[in-house]
Amino acid sequence: MKVFVDSARCQGHTLCSMIAPDSFELSDIDGTSSPVNEVVPPDQEDAVREAVHSCPEQAITIEE
Amino acid sequence: MSVDDIRAADNDRKKNRYYFDRHTPEYRLQFEKITEEMQSKCPVAWSETYNGHWVAADSKHVFELARCPAVSNHHDLTGETPYQGITIPKAQRATVVRGGILEMDEPEHSTYRGALNPYLSPAAVKRWKPFVDEIVRAALDEKIESGRIDFVDDLANIVPAVLTLAMMGIELKKWPVYSEPAHLSVSTPEHSPDAPRVAELNRQMGIDMINTMNEVRENPRPGLVNALLQLRIDGEPAPDLEILGNLGLIIGGGFDTTTALTAHALEWLSEHPNKRELLSRERDTLLDPATEEFLRYFTPAPGDGRTFSEDIEVEGQQFKEGERLWVSWAMANRDPAVFDSPNEIILDRKGNRHFSFGIGVHRCVGSNVARTVFKSMLTAVLDRMPDYVCDPEGTEHYETIGVIQGMKHLPATFTPGKRLGPGLDETLEKLQRICDEQELARPITERKESAVID
Repeated sequence: MKVFVDSARCQGHTLCSMIAPDSFELSDIDGTSSPVNEVVPPDQEDAVREAVHSCPEQAITIEE
Repeated sequence: MSVDDIRAADNDRKKNRYYFDRHTPEYRLQFEKITEEMQSKCPVAWSETYNGHWVAADSKHVFELARCPAVSNHHDLTGETPYQGITIPKAQRATVVRGGILEMDEPEHSTYRGALNPYLSPAAVKRWKPFVDEIVRAALDEKIESGRIDFVDDLANIVPAVLTLAMMGIELKKWPVYSEPAHLSVSTPEHSPDAPRVAELNRQMGIDMINTMNEVRENPRPGLVNALLQLRIDGEPAPDLEILGNLGLIIGGGFDTTTALTAHALEWLSEHPNKRELLSRERDTLLDPATEEFLRYFTPAPGDGRTFSEDIEVEGQQFKEGERLWVSWAMANRDPAVFDSPNEIILDRKGNRHFSFGIGVHRCVGSNVARTVFKSMLTAVLDRMPDYVCDPEGTEHYETIGVIQGMKHLPATFTPGKRLGPGLDETLEKLQRICDEQELARPITERKESAVID
């Protein structure tokens, strides 16, 4: 699974890193998110899927 | 097209009509019914109230409209255009200053917001956690031996106020000067006999804000006031009135909203002691999702006004330039298309992409502060007053929820406990010293370390 954060959409709600802290890192300056690694480790796939569903801006996409 | 043709087209655009008045007590009492009706019948409605405005009640339209570049937050202070910012109807205070970044469009909005972000990002707010915990400790110590507390007056009004002032670079002991008018101006209707007193408190707060701004300009000290003073736009400082508008927004946004969230959550947990025990026991996994669920369900800031800046069609609905719009975060948060059993609180809710901090570029700049302060207050109450029972007789909700879904009083009793340290006044003196010595109010770009409470 691969994960992408659309930086034009992300507004720094921080829910993704709350749900999947090992898969998303937040900017120190404004809290916007980016994936830690594009390829998601198998044990984090469920959490990343939950982050996709929970993103208020619908800014996260995955490729299975 | 003839005049009649235009009128017919206009009627067709506005065929989904709903008499929507969120400033009445009925709206609060009938909230779930009105929300269901609007979502199933409209879901974008034209309402004749307040000179006529659109209301977006469902998640899809709220999501698209809040992110739409043809939807403006701008507030024209001359009052000569329909651009009246985020309040419907037009606010009384609105003739003097704009409401900071919340009443600005791009690119101006991002210029100002860029100055505030490094003080309010998750990393920046995390540094304050020991400081917040210490204010909470002292507030609870004031009441712990008595077995009685008012969660609004004695806790949830104090902690957000003290932290916000600390971040701004305003003296902590001044918190009542800011806290009283910040809450009362939301909860006091214009016709109330208390209105003149509230106006006077507001005036005193305004004077203190101006004095602080001038003081910090003369002798810079770290904080959000300084951030706005140091901001340069095309080489020029920001106008004083825009600085004051932003300071007012930080206070308006930072105080009453977090108070409202905390009070509602504590009231609900008192009514659901099994859930309270579960949340306390499993807080390592449950505290984060439960916080988001309380945010969704209670939506402290229920919505925002906007103005269409172009003729545009969004999700099949046509809008005209100059028409006003209410985007309801609170109603979108109850949309069954996104949230299963939307009128139930489910502490571990999945897929909770709630609208409570807004959507789009105006996402609440203080969202990380709100969560941190809320979690600190909630967990301290769960630890130190685990058997508290709220008193419905003394509980007072805001009569209307048009601006903030807030609470005035939430008294409770509990088994008394032992104090852990000094009271509030002594603690605030100590925290002021720590704030100054450690320069806690610097932005994350200048200071990475967490506060150390000695």
